[in-house]
Amino acid sequence: MKTPKLSRIILYILLGLFAILSLLPLWSCVVTALKTSKEVILTTPVTPPLRPTLAPLMESLDYLKRPLINSLVLVGSGIMVSCFFGSILGYVFSKRRFRGSTSLLILVILCLYIPPQVQLIPMVQTMSKMGLHGDLGSLVLLYMLFGIPMCTFIFKTLYDEVPDSFINAAKVDGAGTWTIYRRIMLPLSVIPFVVAALLQVTVIWNDYIWGLVLTVGKANLPVTVAMANLKGSFVAEWNLQMAGALWVALPTLIIFIFLGKYIMRGYAGM
Amino acid sequence: MDPKKKERIITALIILPAFVSIFVFFYCFSGWNFFISLTDWEGFVPSYNLVGFKNYVALFHDPLFWISFKNNLLLILIFVPGVILVGLMLAILLDQKVRGEGVFRTVYLLPFALSFVVTAALWAWMYSPRVGTINVLLEKLGLGFLKSGWITDPNIVMYCIIAALIWQFAGYSGIIFLAGIRSIPGSQIAAAKVDGASTFTLYRRIVLPQLKASFTTAFIIFMCFALKAFDFIWVLNRGGPGYSSHILGVSMYKETFGLDKFAYGAAYATIILVLSLVVVVPFLRRVYRRE
Repeated sequence: MKTPKLSRIILYILLGLFAILSLLPLWSCVVTALKTSKEVILTTPVTPPLRPTLAPLMESLDYLKRPLINSLVLVGSGIMVSCFFGSILGYVFSKRRFRGSTSLLILVILCLYIPPQVQLIPMVQTMSKMGLHGDLGSLVLLYMLFGIPMCTFIFKTLYDEVPDSFINAAKVDGAGTWTIYRRIMLPLSVIPFVVAALLQVTVIWNDYIWGLVLTVGKANLPVTVAMANLKGSFVAEWNLQMAGALWVALPTLIIFIFLGKYIMRGYAGM
Repeated sequence: MDPKKKERIITALIILPAFVSIFVFFYCFSGWNFFISLTDWEGFVPSYNLVGFKNYVALFHDPLFWISFKNNLLLILIFVPGVILVGLMLAILLDQKVRGEGVFRTVYLLPFALSFVVTAALWAWMYSPRVGTINVLLEKLGLGFLKSGWITDPNIVMYCIIAALIWQFAGYSGIIFLAGIRSIPGSQIAAAKVDGASTFTLYRRIVLPQLKASFTTAFIIFMCFALKAFDFIWVLNRGGPGYSSHILGVSMYKETFGLDKFAYGAAYATIILVLSLVVVVPFLRRVYRRE
């Protein structure tokens, strides 16, 4: 049997070390979330609980229940609208170029880099005028618009991979812009929709600043804002904080573990 | 009607609703924010008197602005190169025909899946001086002399934050570079190997020079992030202790929504926008000039 070369051993040691660094805070979070307050003090933050308890998870779930549902609503409504519009814009920018379409595309892509700070005050003002400030509805509206540039970019990139010959044949047959979109592009769009939707789920679920600024009152908070409040209210109760963090983290962790391949296609080009 | 013209109108009608909403939300709002920064709006009820660039003059005489600016600069100068270097290292390690590459990749990416609210809670626990993970582990490993107040120490709090952010983004950075490395034609690498190039030379001479696009992408993404950063620090310690970890985003939020100084906050926001545009616009121009 061939003994592995020294360089290979070092390689795997390094990879393992980075893996441990990457997982350490998460590991510490999980084990602490399963401990009683007493055990948190008596054991180190990395030792597994001697007697695992679900109490912190249950207690934090009670605190986060309504916000979790709110965030689900936001994700659901947000992805539907932004993916739909993103797909249409992506199709036009990829297959229906016109004079000035590149400039428009640049304007759309530039949106990805505009810091949210410049929109906070005008958005708060607009929502107050509409009587929606403080309400979950303001966030629903926001996330419908907010994701369009990102979705447009993803759809445009993925539609570019569809050969133009598919469309030219239909054009010769006299099919119009809308028909081509519905009959040819949409059926080819399963993967783009999956990629864009997963990306939007992650972005909306994880977002914090907009919920902080636009919503008031526990019934309206998205889960990240509620979690930050939980952290502020239970400063010394680390097991409760870690349990809360775990609830917020769970959906996106699952997406990255099982569907990471798709989501990284969306991030790859940005 | 001429069918070609009809098609054009249909295309315009399809993209119009989406385009108008984007335009209002991103561009009109940015413009409106700039307008507000030229007024004297204070308090929750909007009242506008144009005062010109008074807010900006006040900003440049405000010690808090300079503290935030300096901290933000520190964030940029350490976080951006740091996350790029660690990512590049991860990408090169992962490129060595590693068994279980997919597993390692997923593990490195997990921190990137998390909300800043979650990672702030996680790192508050890691850095907690009395019972937190890092200090306890240092003690157990016999390195008790390295124990520190971490995020409670105003002298090192920014470095602690930067380390945590590098942790969160390293995997993402790694994926950007791995994609870049994988797009280099295999024949070039094979040819270099035939010529007897060592792994080190191979990366220095063949791979790194072709990663220009990956470097640019990573640079833009992480620069823009560093300029608008807010969530992580706000949830971790509200920019504390004192003002020691205030950055532009944190001060903008506090002035606007903490003290109701809307016009002043809008001036902060405009400065963040201008700095971001300085980074992004040249990049976008270069990318799309080719099309």
